[in-house]
Amino acid sequence: MEKKKELNGNPRLLLVDDEMAITDRLEPFLSRAGFQVRVVGDGVSALQEVTMFAPDLVILDVLMPDLDGREVLRQLRQKGDWTPIILLTQVGESAERAMALMEGADDYINKPFDPYELAARVKAVIRRSHPGQPPLSTLERLRSGDLVVDRTTRRAYMNSVEISLSPRAISLLEYMITHPDELLTRERLLDAVWGWDYPIGMRAVDTRVAELRRTLGDKVENPEFIETVPGQGYRFIGKVENSS
Amino acid sequence: MKRWFLALCLLPAGIAVFLAVLILCGVLPNPVLYVKGNAALIALIAGVSLSAGMLLIFLLFSRIQKRYRDEIIQVQKLADEDHRRFIRRLDHELKNPLTAIRAGLTNLSSEPLGEYLTSELNAVQDQVLRINRLVIDLRKLAVLESTLPERADVNLAELLNYVVDDFKRQDILENRRLTLILPNAPWPLPDIEGDGDLLLLAVNNLLENAVKYTSPGDTIEVRAFDDGNDVVVEVADTGPGIPESEMERVWEELYRGEEVKGVPGSGLGLPLVRVIIEQHRGIVGLRSRPEKGTVFSIRLPAKKSGSQSGCYRWVTRHA
Repeated sequence: MEKKKELNGNPRLLLVDDEMAITDRLEPFLSRAGFQVRVVGDGVSALQEVTMFAPDLVILDVLMPDLDGREVLRQLRQKGDWTPIILLTQVGESAERAMALMEGADDYINKPFDPYELAARVKAVIRRSHPGQPPLSTLERLRSGDLVVDRTTRRAYMNSVEISLSPRAISLLEYMITHPDELLTRERLLDAVWGWDYPIGMRAVDTRVAELRRTLGDKVENPEFIETVPGQGYRFIGKVENSS
Repeated sequence: MKRWFLALCLLPAGIAVFLAVLILCGVLPNPVLYVKGNAALIALIAGVSLSAGMLLIFLLFSRIQKRYRDEIIQVQKLADEDHRRFIRRLDHELKNPLTAIRAGLTNLSSEPLGEYLTSELNAVQDQVLRINRLVIDLRKLAVLESTLPERADVNLAELLNYVVDDFKRQDILENRRLTLILPNAPWPLPDIEGDGDLLLLAVNNLLENAVKYTSPGDTIEVRAFDDGNDVVVEVADTGPGIPESEMERVWEELYRGEEVKGVPGSGLGLPLVRVIIEQHRGIVGLRSRPEKGTVFSIRLPAKKSGSQSGCYRWVTRHA
């Protein structure tokens, strides 16, 4: 896979969706954005193309006839294939999205989406993925410095001592630590953690980030974990590793 | 109540009528009968049978009433379910075309189009984003309806202060007078249990609504108080008021008042308030007078603080 990437230069994308109206428009867009794109319209062909085309990332629609996106994801992960996958989810249910992440998706994006947002997510996932290794989003325990987040019990520890956080602050920390080094806009955090993204919610994000910083003892000027990106959002800058 | 039981009840009356007809027509003899019995027994039989009859009627009536109520609730539930299913289908049917349209427009905008086509494209893009927003908002409403809110202590006074200050900071009031009235004596507003972020959104929507439907020079008053059991938040304005016929409908999704159709809005702001408050075991309501203004109210259960309830003891004296 690494070899192919070197030979052809641009990252390879496999776009899987049974709606041709979508794939016909997205393919030229993603090609212009600098990707080599291959399109298939069903789950079975997707499984074949993951082996044949060896993509750097798969954009996978959830709702497809016969073999749906979730099943494709499950089958790939079961045979130890960790090709990064972005799911095109169909409902706003945050529980369903969280489940998709635990099952091995690297990220998800809700339809209808801004094509530029999709391209940005693709780049971010490719950048943080380590070929052949499971993504952070599937790990049960993550460590960054002295901070450990246990995702199955939804608890966080600092120097092995449990820290007390509100349920939403835990969800926020979980999302941030599984998306390190990525610019996380307030809108995106609201959508992912809160499930809605009204302007007044920006304050909610700031309040929870402040709670996290206070509890983690993180300084705004010289942060170890959460950096403010002025006018845009936040970035988790700590080095994240598997702690299972 | 079962039909056969009703038939059984009416059977004696039916037989009596039948016999009377036969007697009057001369089919049967019509002798004069003198019944002899002591007064106590007759009084007892008359009283008990009268009571039994009335009790039967009462039972029958309350059973019918209960069944009617249950049926209404059932119909309401089915309608709600139908409604949610419809929203899910609408969402499902719109998301794919919208995704394709957005991608297509993005492709077009990367081509050199000239001034006219560019401005047309931008106009189309704006409208697509509007539909996009609508689909997302409808979906979020459905999600909020089906998920229980986080439960934490919420300082409502602090929250109201924040929202009101936020509106004053923004440049949208244009000479509208906005005031916040909070109780201090004998105690401040009690906390409530719930999701502070969602409640913030609800109050924000009420205030946004008040600003939207008033004119410069109008007054908007946000006030809150507790009555021992509940906390009530009111957002009152001196706007045009809401006609009696629309008062309940403003809480429905996508409903827009007849006289305010010119004012931009999604028709989802108030339904969102309703869903959020109902998810917090509260209720919403409004009162309004044409040309005078409107008071929107939300009522939420106050967090109980130990044994000190601070409830009213009402005393009523009739003249």
